[in-house]
Amino acid sequence: MGDPKVSIKSPLVPSVGAIISISIAVLLYPHSAAGPLALGIWAVLLAESGLVKVPAGSGNRLSLAFIIGAAMPILLIDGTRPDLASTGFVYAVGLLILGIARVVRGDELEHVHADVMRLGVGLGVYAITYATIAEILVTGGGLAWVEAPWDRLIAFVGAGAVWFIIEAGLWAIMTTRERGLSWRYLWLLGLSDWMVMLSMMATGALFGFSWEKLHIWAVLVAALPYGFAHVAFFRYLEARRTYGQTIRALSRIPEVAGLALEGHSDRTSSLAVETAQDLGLTPSEVTDVRYAALMHDIGRITLNEPGILRRGFTDEDISRWGAEIVAESPYLTKVSGLVARQHEPYRRPGEQRDPSLPTASKIIKAASAYDHATMELGFSPLEGLEVLHRGAAYDYDPDVVVAVRRVLERRGVV
Amino acid sequence: MARRTTKIRNERRAKIVIATLYALSGLAVVAWLVIRESFPPIGLWLAFAVAFAFFDWRSVEVNDRMMMSPTIMVGLTAAVAFGPGHAALGVATMAALGAVSARDVKERRLFQPVANFGQLVVTAAGSSLVVEFFIRVALRGEPTFYWAWIALGSAVAAIVHASVNYAFVAFAVRTVFGQTVKPWSHLGELLPSYVTMGFVGGLLGATLVQTRVVLPLVFVVFIIGYHAFASFGQLREAHAATLRGFVKALEAKDLYTRGHTERVAEFSVLCAQHMGFTGTRLERIEWAALIHDVGKLAVPRDLIRKPGKLTSEEYTELQRHAHVVEDILAEVEFLRPMVEIASAHHSNYDGSGYGGVGHTNGEEPPLEASILAVADAFDAMTSTRSYRMALSQSYAFSELRRNAGGQFHPEVVEHFIAAIDETKRRYGSPFLNDPEEARRMAERGVESRG
Repeated sequence: MGDPKVSIKSPLVPSVGAIISISIAVLLYPHSAAGPLALGIWAVLLAESGLVKVPAGSGNRLSLAFIIGAAMPILLIDGTRPDLASTGFVYAVGLLILGIARVVRGDELEHVHADVMRLGVGLGVYAITYATIAEILVTGGGLAWVEAPWDRLIAFVGAGAVWFIIEAGLWAIMTTRERGLSWRYLWLLGLSDWMVMLSMMATGALFGFSWEKLHIWAVLVAALPYGFAHVAFFRYLEARRTYGQTIRALSRIPEVAGLALEGHSDRTSSLAVETAQDLGLTPSEVTDVRYAALMHDIGRITLNEPGILRRGFTDEDISRWGAEIVAESPYLTKVSGLVARQHEPYRRPGEQRDPSLPTASKIIKAASAYDHATMELGFSPLEGLEVLHRGAAYDYDPDVVVAVRRVLERRGVV
Repeated sequence: MARRTTKIRNERRAKIVIATLYALSGLAVVAWLVIRESFPPIGLWLAFAVAFAFFDWRSVEVNDRMMMSPTIMVGLTAAVAFGPGHAALGVATMAALGAVSARDVKERRLFQPVANFGQLVVTAAGSSLVVEFFIRVALRGEPTFYWAWIALGSAVAAIVHASVNYAFVAFAVRTVFGQTVKPWSHLGELLPSYVTMGFVGGLLGATLVQTRVVLPLVFVVFIIGYHAFASFGQLREAHAATLRGFVKALEAKDLYTRGHTERVAEFSVLCAQHMGFTGTRLERIEWAALIHDVGKLAVPRDLIRKPGKLTSEEYTELQRHAHVVEDILAEVEFLRPMVEIASAHHSNYDGSGYGGVGHTNGEEPPLEASILAVADAFDAMTSTRSYRMALSQSYAFSELRRNAGGQFHPEVVEHFIAAIDETKRRYGSPFLNDPEEARRMAERGVESRG
C-alpha cells in the first residue's frame, strides 16, 4: 500500500516524552510551594483519571484527565494555592505515570505516546494561559494565582477555551497524518466535541472551587451533575449508532430481494463518505452523504410491482421513488433531497451548469457509477476510474472525480 | 346522553372545588410565611428563579416515557442557599412560577395552573421548612458534622416534597376524574433519584453559601446534560419515524395491506396496555408490530397478492424471503429483541407453526409474540384481502376464542377482546359472518374488475 504511515516504532521516541516530563518535574519541583506528598497524590489522581475514557462523538480519545487537569490551578493544596511550578510538577509526574500505566496495560506504544504528548501540550498551555490571565487581572502579583474567586473563574474560562481549541487542532493534525483525511473536516469534527469538553472542564472547576470548603464531599457535588451529563452523552451516542445501523439494514432490503446489486449501497456509501471527507465537507454534511448514499437505491424496492416492470422505468424514477420513501421520515428531508438529485448530471451539453446541485449528490453519483462499473460491468479499478474521467465535466463534477481518485490511491487500488 | 352531561357538570364542579381549595391553602401558606419570614436577597432569588423556570419548562425524557426534571434539586439548593428565616418564603414564591406549564398555555387550561399553584406552594414550603430545621441543627452541632446534617436534611426534604406532591395530585385526580392513581409504586421507582437530587442539591446550596462562583459552573454542566438528553430523545424519535416511514411507503403501493402495520401496532399496544405492560416492554411490542411484515415487503408482489391459496413451493419461497430480511434487521442490536418477537409471532401457542430468528421449537412463544399474533390475525380477518372481503368483528372475536389454547394464547385473547371493546370502535364489516360468503364476494369482485 503506497502511503507510508507515520510510525514511531523506535523506543527512542516514547523515551523522549518520558525524559521531557522527568526533566520538567525535576526543574519545577524546587520552586513549588506545596509538599511532595500532596503533589504526588494529585499526580496519581491525574494519571488515574487519564485511564477512564469518555464517550465523544468524533472518535477523539478523551479522558477524565480533563477534569482533574482543569481543577489543578483552582484547588487548594497543602493549605496553599498551587503556583505555576507545583501545577507543572503535578502535570509532568501525572503524565509520566499515565504513560507507564497505559504501556503496562498493553496499549499500543504509538497511541500512548501521541495521546500523552497531546494531553501534555494542552495542560501546559492551559496552565500558562491561566497564569497569564491571572497576572493581567491582578497586576504586579507576579505569577502567583489570584485569590478572588470570580477572577479565578475568568482565568479558568479563558484558559479552558484555549486548551480546547489546541486539543481539537492537535487531534485533527495527528489524525490527518494517520488517516489522510481532510484537515478541515477533522478539525470541525474535533470542535463538535465542545459540549463533552465543556462539561468536563466545568466539572473540574466546580470540583476545584468546592474542594476548598467541602473536601471529600466535593467529589459528590462534582460527580453527580457530571454523571448526569455523562449518561446523556452515552445514550445519545448509542442512539446515533443504532440509527445508522437501522438505515444500513433498510438499505439492504432491496438487495436481498434481488432488486439491486448485493452490497452496492454499502460500497457506494463508504466510497462517497471518504470522498466527502477528502473534499472537506462538514461533519453533518458527511453524515447526510452517508445516509443518502446508503439509501440511494432504496427506490428499487418499488420494482417488485409487476406493473412497473411492464411499463419500464428510468434512473430518474428510481431516484424519485427513493426520495419519496426517505421523505416519509420528517428528520431526513435533507437526505431525501440528496437522493432525489443523485442522477442529475454535472452539466448538460450546451447548457449552463446548475449551481444548486448539492456536492453530496454529485459525490453519490460518481461513487455509485464507480461501483457499478467495477462490480457489475466487471471493469478493473483503473478502468472504473477511467469511466469517471471520461464523464468528468459533463456527467461528473471534475473536483469530485479528482477526490475519488485520491481516495482510491490512498486505498491502494489504483 | 343525559347521564353524560351530568357527569361533565359534576366534573366541572369537582374541578372548581379542588382548584379553590388548593389555591386558598397555597395563599394561606404564603400569607403565613410573609408574617413569619423575610424575603431572601432579590438578586440571588432571581438567579434561582431563572434556573427553576428553565428546568421546569423543559423537562426531558430520561428513560422510556419517564420524565425527569431537576426542579426539586434547584428548589433545595435555593432553600439551603437562602438559609433559615428566608428559605420557605423564597422557595415557595419560586415554586409558584412552575404552576403554569407550556401545555396549559397551549390548551388554554385553567384548572391545572390554579390547582398546581396551590399544591406547589404548599409542597415547596413544607420541604423548605424541613431544610431550615436541619440547617439550624447543623449550625448548633459539631462543625465536623455540618455537611452531613445538610445532606441528610435535604435528602429528607426531597422525600417530603415527593410524598406531599404525590398526595395532592392523587387526591385531585381521584376527586375530579374518579380514577385512582397507581398507589405509590411509581413513586417508589422515582424515590432514589429524588433522594440523590435532594442530597446533591443540599450540598450545592451549602457550597454556594461559601462561594458563589460555583453557580454558573453547575448550571453549565446541567444544561449540557439536558441538551444531550434532548438530542437523544430527538434521535430516538427520528429512528422510529424512519422505520415507520419506510414501512408506510412500501405498504402504500399495495391497496390490500395499506395501513395493516399501523393497525396491528395500535391493536398490539392496546392489548399490551390492558395487560399492564409499561415502558420498554410496551415500546418493544410497538416496534415489533411495525416490523412484523417488513419481510413480506421484499417479496415479489404477484406472490403476495395472488388470489387463492399459495402452492407449497410458493409458501416456502415467501418464508425464505421473510427470514432473510429478518436476519438483516436482527443485525441491528437495538432491533434484535423486536425482530425476535416479530419472527415468533408465526408460532402457535401450543408450540406448532414456524418461527424465524426467535425460533420456538415446540415451545410456547413469548407473551409479546402471542399478543402480536392475535392482533395480526384480528386485522387480517377484519380487513379486505385480495381473496376475501372483510369479516365482522364479532366473527373475528369468536374465531379468536375458538382457536384460543391452540393457535392463540387464551389469556391474551381475552385481554385483546376486552381492550378492543373498551375503545368502543367496531372494526371489519358490519354483517359478514361467513368466510365462504366473503370469499365468493371477493371472487365476484375480481371477475367484474378483470
